[in-house]
Amino acid sequence: MLTLENVTVRFGGLTAVKDVSFSMGTDQVLGLVGPNGAGKTTLFNAISGLVRPGGGRVMFNGVDLTRKPLHSRAHHGLGRTFQIPQPMHELTVRENLLVAQRFGAGKVDHKRLDEIMDFMDLGDQADRNAATELALQELKRLEVAKAMATEPRMLLLDEVLAGLETNGKRHFTARLQDMHKRFKIGILIIEHDIETVSSLCHRVVVLNFGEILADGTPDAVFRDPEVVRSYTGGGEDA
Amino acid sequence: MQKRMIVALALFYVVVPVLLNGNNYILSLLVSSLIVAGMAVSWALLGNLGGMVSFGHAAFFGIGGYASALLVTKLGLPVMVAIPAGGVAAVLASVFMLPALRLSGPYFALAILAYAHIFKILATEFSSLTGGSAGLSSIPGLPDIFGFNLSSRLGAYFVVLSLVLMFCWVYGRIRRSDYGTALRAMHDSEDATRVVGVNSLMLKSWMLFVSAFMGGLIGAFNAHVINFLEPDYAFNSAWSVLPIVAAIFGGYRTVYGPAIGAVVIYLVDQLVFKEIMSTGHQLILGAVLAGMILFAPDGLMRLFKRKPQEARNAHT
Ligand SMILES: Nc1ncnc2c1ncn2[C@@H]1O[C@H](COP(=O)(O)OP(=O)(O)O)[C@@H](O)[C@H]1O
Ligand SMILES: [Mg+2]
Repeated sequence: MLTLENVTVRFGGLTAVKDVSFSMGTDQVLGLVGPNGAGKTTLFNAISGLVRPGGGRVMFNGVDLTRKPLHSRAHHGLGRTFQIPQPMHELTVRENLLVAQRFGAGKVDHKRLDEIMDFMDLGDQADRNAATELALQELKRLEVAKAMATEPRMLLLDEVLAGLETNGKRHFTARLQDMHKRFKIGILIIEHDIETVSSLCHRVVVLNFGEILADGTPDAVFRDPEVVRSYTGGGEDA
Repeated sequence: MQKRMIVALALFYVVVPVLLNGNNYILSLLVSSLIVAGMAVSWALLGNLGGMVSFGHAAFFGIGGYASALLVTKLGLPVMVAIPAGGVAAVLASVFMLPALRLSGPYFALAILAYAHIFKILATEFSSLTGGSAGLSSIPGLPDIFGFNLSSRLGAYFVVLSLVLMFCWVYGRIRRSDYGTALRAMHDSEDATRVVGVNSLMLKSWMLFVSAFMGGLIGAFNAHVINFLEPDYAFNSAWSVLPIVAAIFGGYRTVYGPAIGAVVIYLVDQLVFKEIMSTGHQLILGAVLAGMILFAPDGLMRLFKRKPQEARNAHT
């Protein structure tokens, strides 16, 4: 169970995330939507420890993570991907996953790594240099694979489906659904495409100017006139 | 690979001693060059694995030397116990440097430089213990072991050679381990590495400790070879600068490069440049280094390296 209590993040005069509170279980797939600049990535950063919230608390399975160092989140079962992929430089795809597994999950299991690579369609890329020899979509899959290798209970996915054409998106969405069901991993995903969110997520939280605008089932949320206005008025590309 | 290793060991442990036995001048130079080699490995480990450039390795060298000398002269510890204790003393001192690990590149380098200076001042001011600027003299030499006199030139050569080879072995082991892989990943992508669970600060701290231990150990060994210490000598910036020059010359990203670079540079400087120019011969060294950085920034070892694919095949 991930619980956010009045999480607030400020950058100088700008309040990027304001008093955000919600809970979700690992049995859920929750879509986090909202126009560009709404504070979605910043909220991920606050949850995963890349920025210190100016106020509020981040709880995971009863543990207060708010002041815990970045690396310890993985040990508590919280994984994340980066909107702009951040492969570990100088390492191959396999070495990236090995580091994630060894230090995130605390064990080395090569069979499991092969399984993750196959699952994310990276089997043929295993020995490539991650930073220099992968295409953008492969890098995004590596982001997910790295997070999976830490054996998380909950995954924060930041726009991993963006930029895919329709078929690719369906394929990847099915993979995520499969992962959620097979490995019992809760998913909090940032995604713009309404159709994808509707098919993948049990629940949607809409963020606008750092605040929660709506929280409910995809059907209800995407019919909410205020949400529709923020989407069409916010210069959204989706 | 294995075969080359055996040939090298036979050369170092049998051929060199047999050829040079009795030639105390060359043996002394070799011992001095291996002392620099030990410092160069210590420096390169912190630089290449920890990603931290140190301008103050003289601190570890000096602390190790003083600690070991004092443990023997004041507390009567056996020399062979005091020398590793000198390494431990350098590790303890490095604990005070931990806050500097949060600093980035050049700031860390300067912070360590400042630390080295502080320890030099301490060694000068605590004169009741350290003898102040006059220093410590008659520091006991290395003992006899199984009737073999380690304090002879040849004995010192065997000891320091073994230390340097051990350092290289440890360095290589760490580098090949999962910790080494994570450290490599941290250089250019620290957040991405931390987010998957790597405690980067702890790994860097460990590299600082291992590096400090090596530096302290070499400093301690040296104190018992020259039997004399003073702050200006033990904390001399040469102990910070020579290892850097040697490591860059030999290739600081390789395991054996820094050690080989140290021996080559030291011997060439003493045997060739000094003959040509008895004063200011370091100038030639400076010019060679500048040339190296301009034309072969990866160092000497790179020139001997096979192509990456061949090297990879050789591993399996
Ligand atoms: N490190 C930062 N420093 C200053 N401002 C930031 C920083 N990160 C994000 N912001 C600002 O915070 C707001 C929210 O950004 P972000 O969380 O990236 O939005 P989203 O992911 O929803 O598109 C934006 O106005 C952005 O410019
Ligand atoms: Mg974003």
